[in-house]
Amino acid sequence: MAEHHWGWLIAIYLFLGGMGAGSFLVASIFELSGLRYKYDFCPTSLAGAGVSGPLILIGTVLLIFDLGAGMRQPWRIPLMFLNFSSVMTWGIWILSLFLPLCFVYAILELMHVQPGILAWLHQKQNILPRPLRIVPETLPYRRIKRIVCSVGCVFAVGTAVYTGVLLAVVQAVPFWNSPVLPVLFLVSATSTGIGLSFDLAATMAVPNLHERYGKMPIVHMTMIGLEVFLLALLMIVSLVKGGDAAESAKMILIGSQSVVFWVLVIGTGMIYPFTVSAYAYARHKHGLTTSLLAGAGIVVAGLFVRYLVVAAAIPLAL
Amino acid sequence: MMQRCKGAESAEPLQPGEGDAPGVSRRALLRAGLAGGLVAAIGGGCLSPSEEVEASESEYVLIIDLTKCAGCRACEEACNQRNHLPEEQSYIRILARGDEEDRWFLPVQCQHCHDAPCATVCPVDATYQHPSGVVLVNEEICVGCKYCIVACPYGARIYDEHKGVASKCWLCLDWVLGGGEPACVQACLKGARIFGKRTDSQIARLLASGRAQALHPEFGTEPSVLRYIFPET
Repeated sequence: MAEHHWGWLIAIYLFLGGMGAGSFLVASIFELSGLRYKYDFCPTSLAGAGVSGPLILIGTVLLIFDLGAGMRQPWRIPLMFLNFSSVMTWGIWILSLFLPLCFVYAILELMHVQPGILAWLHQKQNILPRPLRIVPETLPYRRIKRIVCSVGCVFAVGTAVYTGVLLAVVQAVPFWNSPVLPVLFLVSATSTGIGLSFDLAATMAVPNLHERYGKMPIVHMTMIGLEVFLLALLMIVSLVKGGDAAESAKMILIGSQSVVFWVLVIGTGMIYPFTVSAYAYARHKHGLTTSLLAGAGIVVAGLFVRYLVVAAAIPLAL
Repeated sequence: MMQRCKGAESAEPLQPGEGDAPGVSRRALLRAGLAGGLVAAIGGGCLSPSEEVEASESEYVLIIDLTKCAGCRACEEACNQRNHLPEEQSYIRILARGDEEDRWFLPVQCQHCHDAPCATVCPVDATYQHPSGVVLVNEEICVGCKYCIVACPYGARIYDEHKGVASKCWLCLDWVLGGGEPACVQACLKGARIFGKRTDSQIARLLASGRAQALHPEFGTEPSVLRYIFPET
């Protein structure tokens, strides 16, 4: 049933949407808290701002590829903005408003890091007639980004939560039909955003990045702890509900999906990064390879959390 | 006004002998549907359940007597033929129930719910309840996102790969409005499918007796057309 119609494509879409939103959140938190300006170059903000738009765009394209008649006759797609009783419509509105913000933020961040871009544009606009020369010599980047990030954070949280609500409203799949799911997806989205933007992309650009932010292991451990708590809560709630919800939870915990859950989600994405963070915090030592692997583990876990939730969907028994 | 929109390839009028129901042809339905689709496209759906269908009681009722159903699949075959569905797909699923000694069959199809989750989740408002109570799909605007398939607790919706839309039982509404019966009712060899208006004496009697019950009313979707007479256990 459900698992046959919504498969990998949807899982990847939920994952990319969440990770894009999470990356935006991480970059925005660095920007709004002033961490972005602690050093001359902040690779986390650049990476987070840079990847959020493309990730969400790829996710949206996947969603469109999964459509039937809408893919063949794209003029039907605008109709998807119309039915406000559908969570999918909310999502389409959120994504449509959030996506341009992501790209605006990425461009602003890039121009802020590379002031030469604005100088070049300012110079090149001389070929245009005088009234069209609108590129200024300088821009108040910090002030503009503050607005973009503040508004964007609302949409980023909206995007991450929406990916969970999309499934949580489906009463036909008792395992999904839980308010825990949107919260889990929000936490997981933020976690994967940190994993991708900070642990992977930014650490590759600045290998000693972890030494700059001594409290990052605490953030990691807190996020992992929250995620484990929410995963446990989802399983317990489902087991207590009984019936098909319990069957879904059993499929993940001890059934056909248990290897994916225990190895790729709990082992790779929770225990390993938690251990790396705990060690780093206790010893004040940060290994480049272990940091990169921990980041990759968090991202992999984010993907497989979505996969498991979609794959373990057991429709109500008739 | 109806919005059952079939694709152009299935828009031919009914063939003589294919039901012989007078009245509304599929072409007429297509015309009505196209107009409806246009209105829906502009106005965001012209016949949403909340606006047009106030009473949860449908005009038509289909009672399936499970004490008579032999699971012969004649209804499924007739439905597939009527709707040009491939063999591996059907709007009707026959589920076997009970043990080997006490086997009975449960045919499941769209229950035409008054509070249909498939309609609620549809982002384009392609699923809606006709004033007769029958839940229809406007295939002219369906994008094929499959959210309705996932959301239907009865598993009554199927994905039509050919058209790229999510379709389902439409109670052969063209025949019904023309005074006929759905293909599955006509095909039932055991007389297990009792169809008619809510006010018809046999239907009214069965409903009043409480023997004809909704399937899983606890799902909360308020099935409006389908009722079942369950075997005594």
